[in-house]
Amino acid sequence: MDFLAWLQSTAFATAVAETIWAYPLLETLHALGMAMLLGALGLTNLRILGYKPELPLLGTQDLLPLAWLGFTINAASGLALFTSDAIYFFSSYTFRIKIALIALAGVNAVILAHKVFRVPAGSDGGSPTAGVKWLAGLSLVFWVGAAIAGRLIAYTP
Amino acid sequence: MEFLAWLESTPIAGAITTSVWMYATFETIHYIGLAMLVGSIMLIDLRLLGFARSLPLPSMLGLLPWVWVGFLINVVTGSLMFIYNATSFGMNRMFWLKMTFMALAGINALVFTVAVARTGERWLTAAETPAAIKVVATLSLALWLGVMTAGRWMAYV
Repeated sequence: MDFLAWLQSTAFATAVAETIWAYPLLETLHALGMAMLLGALGLTNLRILGYKPELPLLGTQDLLPLAWLGFTINAASGLALFTSDAIYFFSSYTFRIKIALIALAGVNAVILAHKVFRVPAGSDGGSPTAGVKWLAGLSLVFWVGAAIAGRLIAYTP
Repeated sequence: MEFLAWLESTPIAGAITTSVWMYATFETIHYIGLAMLVGSIMLIDLRLLGFARSLPLPSMLGLLPWVWVGFLINVVTGSLMFIYNATSFGMNRMFWLKMTFMALAGINALVFTVAVARTGERWLTAAETPAAIKVVATLSLALWLGVMTAGRWMAYV
């Protein structure tokens, strides 16, 4: 708690909270990052689940830089938004659910990338197993869940 | 102005005002629609600009239904949120800026559709997209970013 109180008293946090354009700018960046992340990972996971089989499975790796860029934008903008009211956000259950979903999505993504993209040279990745499809489905649930929880922070205790 | 006041007096607006969960739900669904719309548009535009070349362009254009579904979701949820606060949103210059960007993005998308129909067979499967199409793709990215930015700023003016 002392740390959170200190965090929201920093000059940076005060600037985010009080500068007229800082908060909407950070929120806009956060929505943009969400669209990048969900767009790139949404297509990748749907492809693993069998959507658009004409897209080469391993080719979806090309989308990962966009997912990473979206994630980085959102980690940075999210952290900045967090500092503006750290105690409030930290004590929000919806915020905690969001962070938990992101953590689950992250662990899931590492396992999924390992299983789908780590293939012998020359292989096209074959068809994803039922287990891998479950992970891809879970990934969609975790990320969309994180987006929903994120929007609801403003409306819940 | 009278029309806006009438909108605000409709039973729909009344229901949204008295409900504790409706506005939050519409706003959350509006975000999911945004992710579908902007997430898919971004993938298509970035592919036109040369990103993720291992994913064939004609298949990526097959993502357009996601754009339409996201757009429809957001027209419905956006209209409901507008009705709830019509006199205020109707006078909000950021709202009109958002509508302007959307209209321009629509015209731009129409130009793209005509270009695909008329000249698409020459470049859809080519290694490089024509420069004019890249301009259209860049404009699309910029205009949708404008829509999102003005949309978020509406709450702050």
